[in-house]
Amino acid sequence: MAASNPENDLKTQVPGSNEAEQPQIQAIRMPSMEEIRAQEVWNNCAVRSVASGVMGGGLGFMMGIFLGALDNPIMQEQMSGRQQLIYNLKQMGTRSWSSAKTFAVMGVVFSAVECVVEKARAKHDTTNTVVAGCVTGGTMSAKAGPKAACVGCVGFAAFSVAIEKFFDRHT
Amino acid sequence: MGGFFCHFLALRNSLNPNKNKAFLRSEVSMAANIPAGIDKEQAFGMAETEMEYRVELFNRLAQTCFNKCVDKRYKEAELNMGENSCIDRCVSKYWQVNSMIGQMLSAGGRPPM
Repeated sequence: MAASNPENDLKTQVPGSNEAEQPQIQAIRMPSMEEIRAQEVWNNCAVRSVASGVMGGGLGFMMGIFLGALDNPIMQEQMSGRQQLIYNLKQMGTRSWSSAKTFAVMGVVFSAVECVVEKARAKHDTTNTVVAGCVTGGTMSAKAGPKAACVGCVGFAAFSVAIEKFFDRHT
Repeated sequence: MGGFFCHFLALRNSLNPNKNKAFLRSEVSMAANIPAGIDKEQAFGMAETEMEYRVELFNRLAQTCFNKCVDKRYKEAELNMGENSCIDRCVSKYWQVNSMIGQMLSAGGRPPM
């Protein structure tokens, strides 16, 4: 299969350019087994879901810190400056930890379901994203009853499809 | 395409390593003038035919599974997971069918109709 023909590159070069400017055409190099194995690491569903969970946790942590810093204490006049600072820091800590856990769970579930579905179907589609989003939204809202689980499923699936279209808008 | 071929190489090495090694060993033994019951010209001819057959098989396999599995819009350079698992299944089916048909043709003499 001729993916790209190096002879065509040579023919399209300007004939008058000197030899120092002509770029060296490299031959097509087959990857070694180490390179293949390094690329195959990211095909593993467990590795991908753990990495996605870690990223989600980091994102949740940052968001929790940011939103926790905006919170003002209730008894603002009666506390000194230092007490206000300690209260703010505690707020930021608890909020960031809880939001980090939520986002990490969301990332793990979404990534694991999408990986498993895509491997089973052997196709790269938006259907994988829809199913993964539905399962994630459903499990996150499952505590509030079946109706809330349905609403969460549809909502999160729509949200993840929108995010995926947004990230692929140039192709 | 580099990713596609590297996936094929991994599959080829995993599917039939013993067969390829045996073929290479037979090539080497023929080149080292070890008498195998047939003369040298015939041995070279057979090795050449076998090599051509292998190359043709690999090319056809790559072409078929590429047309079947890879989306032609080329959104990104790397093979994604769906394409990887599609290539796994396609190559394994192709190889199995190829070996089955080869056995039937070599054993039967004429295909059972």
